[in-house]
Amino acid sequence: MAYADLREFLETLDRNGQLLAYSEPVNPEPDMSAAARATANLTDRGPALLFDNINGYEPGKGRVALNTVGSWPNHALMLGLDKDTSVKDQFFEFAGRWDAFPGPVERRDDAPWQEVTLTEGIDLFQLLPLFRLNSYDVGSYIDKAAVISRDPDDPDNFGKQNVGIYRIQVKDKDRLGIQPLAAHDIGLHLQRAEERGENLPVAIALGNEPVITTVAGMPLAYDQSEYEMAAAIQGAPYRITKAPVTGLDVPWGSEVVIEGEIIAGEREIEGPFGEFTGHYSGARRQPVIKIHRVMHRRNPIFEHLYLGMPWTEMDYTLALNTSVLLYRQLKAEFPEVAAVNAMYTQGLLGIISVKQRFGGFAKAVGMRAMTVPHGLAYCKVIILVDEDVDPFNLAQVMWALSVHYHPLHDTVTIPNLSVLALDPSSDPAGITHKVVLDATTPIAPEERGHYSQVVGNPEGTADWENIIKGLLK
Amino acid sequence: MNDTTVNSTICPRCDAENVRVLTTSPVPGRWTMYVCNTCIYSWRSTEPSSATDPLAYPAEFKIDPADIPSIPAIPTVPPRRR
Ligand SMILES: [Zn+2]
Repeated sequence: MAYADLREFLETLDRNGQLLAYSEPVNPEPDMSAAARATANLTDRGPALLFDNINGYEPGKGRVALNTVGSWPNHALMLGLDKDTSVKDQFFEFAGRWDAFPGPVERRDDAPWQEVTLTEGIDLFQLLPLFRLNSYDVGSYIDKAAVISRDPDDPDNFGKQNVGIYRIQVKDKDRLGIQPLAAHDIGLHLQRAEERGENLPVAIALGNEPVITTVAGMPLAYDQSEYEMAAAIQGAPYRITKAPVTGLDVPWGSEVVIEGEIIAGEREIEGPFGEFTGHYSGARRQPVIKIHRVMHRRNPIFEHLYLGMPWTEMDYTLALNTSVLLYRQLKAEFPEVAAVNAMYTQGLLGIISVKQRFGGFAKAVGMRAMTVPHGLAYCKVIILVDEDVDPFNLAQVMWALSVHYHPLHDTVTIPNLSVLALDPSSDPAGITHKVVLDATTPIAPEERGHYSQVVGNPEGTADWENIIKGLLK
Repeated sequence: MNDTTVNSTICPRCDAENVRVLTTSPVPGRWTMYVCNTCIYSWRSTEPSSATDPLAYPAEFKIDPADIPSIPAIPTVPPRRR
């Protein structure tokens, strides 16, 4: 199952009742942000939104798609699954497909974004209905585009070519601000370019089928190709096309492809921007991109992402790639790990279900989560539950916390560990205590509490779950 | 939903008189966007006064132009290789 492009995915959403096309007139601010926020507030089964009557743009031409993967049914459809697939089943499907990495890429030279090319008089605001997402963002941002760059010291290495999503401030008609943090792959590319005294060529691909967007948010190893991971996750070769000036590989199906370069040595004020922590990040001096060329389909769809207090679309797009990554890393050393739900603020809080080998085992697994690479910036609160508790079912997790967790015995606080600086509780920024809350049932030699008389499911409950699921269809 | 007369000379965020037209609506006359050359804040004429009016812009998001050069650079610029 693979979608050729954003439009094919939107058609699938529409067929499944998961696309809401809105053709009444709207203002760029604040209507579209408010609609995306409202959809996320109302339900975790909500639709994608498509606006085509935006003040200042020709009706039908200026189009904005929001919330395309912003719900569990849409996430399931991204994976080609039935829209009612449970989160837990989506997790195990995602984990299984990961094993197919690296998948093949398919090189094509006939991309639809080659329809129109602009090299002079570029004005992104004329092409795309850009708008302010949150009231005190410094301006209009692009926050769902795939940004592609290569390692200047090893430019022919396909694996080191990076596809990532970074916040991009549209500072002028043809000038952007970007946040390539030092820890990100593009940050390493920029560092090497600046050490060489060179600008860093970049391609920015907007409006993509959802899998590359999801994979671009995965914390892959430096030399692992996002395109080869996208092929594994979608179960089909991933189509790419060379961008003409930079030679960078971009998705074949994009709506818009921008080519330009990050200017070496330049830093300019950027931000604030409402972030995924639910707080604004302040202003910093950050790198700048000069745009040289824009290629696009006729009447491109601007696919955008509302970002703010969780949950928003980003929490869905990052949910399983964060959870599965931690699961794989923990499982390699501790096969007793049953599942990992690390989808709370990108894994600042995570829940691990594990079969204890002996007393104290779960606590060790919890502390290990904090020392895998992703854990160095996240995993501030780790909750452990038994292997028969579904970590994706918060009612079950809260049950385990309420009756298995003993505050005196089951709290492990580790002082002064690293965390991402955007965590507003960190003090100084980037440093925090972390905590393991062990809500597993104590086993020998740790014998305490009264847990021998559990009320199990009545016989046949699993069969009845299937019967009732079928009747509800 | 027409363009109205809004502040087009003073930056709502940093109060610098260093503002220019960023762009105008593809359908003429609907809106104008402005940008401050000092702090790169931009706004659209159709936005509420909290985004366009220096007096209505909230104090906690204001910035003093004198502070901009000392804002930390992220990432820092590495030294050139020899
Ligand atoms: Zn200003």
